[in-house]
Amino acid sequence: MTAVETESLSKTYRTGFPRKASVAALSGVSLAVDEGKIFGLLGPNGAGKTTFIKILLGLTHPSAGEATLLGVKLPDTRVKSRVGYLPENPRYPPYLNGLQVLELFGKLCGLSSLDARRKAPGLLATVGLEEWRTMKAKRFSKGMLQRLGLAQALINDPDILFLDEPTDGIDPVGRKEIRELLKKLSGEGKTVFLNSHLLSEVEMISDTVAILDRGRLLRVGTIDELTAAGSAYRITHEGILPEELLLEAAALVIHIKDLDGTISVETNDAAELNRLIDLLRRHGITITSVLRVRSSLEDSFMHLIKREIPA
Amino acid sequence: MKILTLIMQTFRELVMRATLIVLLGISSIILIGLALALSSSTTDQGTTLLIFGLPATPPIPQADFESVVLPLESSLAGGLITGIVLLGIFATAGIIPDALEKGSIDLYISKPLARWEFLLGKFAGAVAVIGANTAYFITLAWLIVGLRLGVWDSAFLMSILTITCMFAYIYAMVLFLGLLSRSSALTIIVVFVYLFVIAEMLEGREGFLYRFVTSQGMRAAIDTMYYILPQIPAVRNAVIKQIAHQTMDWVPFAQSFATAGALYLFGTYLFTKRDL
Repeated sequence: MTAVETESLSKTYRTGFPRKASVAALSGVSLAVDEGKIFGLLGPNGAGKTTFIKILLGLTHPSAGEATLLGVKLPDTRVKSRVGYLPENPRYPPYLNGLQVLELFGKLCGLSSLDARRKAPGLLATVGLEEWRTMKAKRFSKGMLQRLGLAQALINDPDILFLDEPTDGIDPVGRKEIRELLKKLSGEGKTVFLNSHLLSEVEMISDTVAILDRGRLLRVGTIDELTAAGSAYRITHEGILPEELLLEAAALVIHIKDLDGTISVETNDAAELNRLIDLLRRHGITITSVLRVRSSLEDSFMHLIKREIPA
Repeated sequence: MKILTLIMQTFRELVMRATLIVLLGISSIILIGLALALSSSTTDQGTTLLIFGLPATPPIPQADFESVVLPLESSLAGGLITGIVLLGIFATAGIIPDALEKGSIDLYISKPLARWEFLLGKFAGAVAVIGANTAYFITLAWLIVGLRLGVWDSAFLMSILTITCMFAYIYAMVLFLGLLSRSSALTIIVVFVYLFVIAEMLEGREGFLYRFVTSQGMRAAIDTMYYILPQIPAVRNAVIKQIAHQTMDWVPFAQSFATAGALYLFGTYLFTKRDL
């Protein structure tokens, strides 16, 4: 079953005076997120990631298109009782401490005062804030505010969690703890919708990833699909490759670079690779290994984004 | 339940603000002063109002003594209204702009809470705080006057409702302007200019503005403005008259209820349509 489904979702902001200029924040985004998975929405700043989440949460109204959340057609206020949300840079009432913040948002989710009060200490312990539970939120560091935000997002035991840059301002140890928590939540059947520009973070935990740029959905797939071994190879050889041979080889493939006995090469297909190997062998080069190179998510992301930027 | 949670949260937020603590402090000092200063002395000639033990009035027959006390109560209520207008607006003007800040409003509206519920909670919370402050001052002043002077005037006690109601009208404007501008400073300036300049000029339009405006069309425009904006000075005068046992004019209350209600509903509509 899908947790989130959008059909041609678009959002255009009117700006300036008298609101004649328009900015397309989202352009016809159609996306489906399976339940119980960790989904990463990637994109550079201004790609439309936050707008997408805000539409799903009823914070922003779409200009066109439709969306369903946990099977409920939006907009619908009631479905939000099954949703947890951590916004980017959350701001809490400064006069409340950690426990009181959770109690407040728990009650706004429909929990009784008693239930909210009962759940709060455990959640603060889960996000590593047990020690500071009676400290006023105004004295919290950026990382502590993020942790508190994660706890408030979990107060209603949601079926889906929307997290906007959840590890922003958190140290590496804390990031690892949060990654483990998200994996645990996913294991319990909760859907995690992660919005981030930290590619390595997303790569480590996401089952599925979508790449958004300037409001358009460029690619959706599993991490394996996005980083699948492609047409890049690494060929190691003995001896030094003569300059003339390198020039001749460059004519056969898309890109070639020789550095300390390792040739990095990008080809259109396996036939090109074989022609290159034949050429090297004809010139008496001893090949010791040929490896297909798997690209990182960052490589795939940069490749996609660059391709979209007009020359 | 959710609206009640928001009311309680707004109440808590306001109680933490220095301006309301100042208002409460000033109210308490006045009440202590009243308790220490007021007393009366009854002789065969009548009852004399004493302030710090010194006669403030000649002996008045007991049956007419109320006529001395009522202006005193009206003055107390008038002072409280001034305090509420000055400090109450300062204290509450920031509620909506602060709540609308990014990272804050997202947390609230992402919860199963309709936008109108959010605004209603904030509105009712602000009015509840001022109502509590008014109740504190008026009830204790009523008790002090009753115990020290023997005059138990229910109209004075009833002014808790009318003063709170008057603040609700003002706060509907504050809320509307806060939603539009997202700035507490701008909201305070506009509300003060309206209350102390525009509303006063509109209230006294026949004796003042019409001297300079002879065109019938312009006069009609001024009249229209008077009737479509909350008539706060007229409401204030009605409250004072109510305490002084004079004939109270309910029309400004009803008219201001309608215009403040319209402002509140229009503000809610705009908020519902807005992208956050």
